Amino acid sequence: MRMLRILAICCFTLTAALGLQPVQAQPGQTTVEYTAAPQSTDIEMADALRQDGKIYVVIVVLLTVLVGVLFYLIALDRKVGKLEKQLKDEFVNR
Amino acid sequence: MKKNWWKILTVLLLVFTVVAGMLSEVPRLAILNETIRNLYFHVPMWFGMILILLVSVAYSILYLRKPSVERDIYAHEAAKVGILFGVLGIVTGMEWAKFTWGEYWSNDPKQNGAAIGLLIYFAYLVLRSSFAEQQQRARISAVYNIFAFAALIPLLFILPRLTDSLHPGNGGNPGFNAYDLDSSLRLVFYPAVLGWTLLGFWIVNIKSRLEIIRHRLYENA
Repeated sequence: MRMLRILAICCFTLTAALGLQPVQAQPGQTTVEYTAAPQSTDIEMADALRQDGKIYVVIVVLLTVLVGVLFYLIALDRKVGKLEKQLKDEFVNR
Repeated sequence: MKKNWWKILTVLLLVFTVVAGMLSEVPRLAILNETIRNLYFHVPMWFGMILILLVSVAYSILYLRKPSVERDIYAHEAAKVGILFGVLGIVTGMEWAKFTWGEYWSNDPKQNGAAIGLLIYFAYLVLRSSFAEQQQRARISAVYNIFAFAALIPLLFILPRLTDSLHPGNGGNPGFNAYDLDSSLRLVFYPAVLGWTLLGFWIVNIKSRLEIIRHRLYENA
């Protein structure tokens, strides 16, 4: 039951992250989030990439990997927890 | 659930690291460009490694004071996860170095020191696996673990500072303190270090519990 709840929260977070992306990736929007300091304009940064909004794609991919690995870890944690409980019960029954 | 709050904190910190690490404002620096963001992913590997290995040493000392199987297991698992972080640190460092320093391995004193330090810790694993008897294995590896950590500190933090190094904060190079005038890097860097380190402790926690279960099982078989 608790597993399902966590799964639901994860799905929500992922869809929220995906839903955020097109909003910020509007090609028509020309809001410049980061402006270069005048004296350092010659240093290239990923401004264009951000205006295109494509950096959010990378964030979604990174988050997917991170969430996947963390979920694996949580599942492992639970499995070990269950084993611990089983072992404890066995000691009590003996 | 109450004693697992730090695992939730780990998840939140790592999600924050990825999102803020990619989006936050960073100083505009020549050569480094956007790779400065590696500060949130490469450097925490080393901070995490040192902190996890410190825990490993602490358990080794505790073991020598009052031997118990649990303390030996904690020391061993922490050392293994510390080594994992060290390997990830060296690989990410090489990837970063290729595109900023020009070569994967430029014999930088800190690179060499890290490689030697990792070899010392690999020897810890080899040493451990060469004993059949549990108490002998635990005691001798605990002693070796203390020496390994004592050797790692000068290799990573003292020797590179005495010569020329490409790493920031070493050999006359400015540290990152000189860059983050507006503290924008620190804002993500400290949570990143905490998040990655806690992730390491989480893995140590799971692996140690599993090993303790395994030990109990064999004990009663």
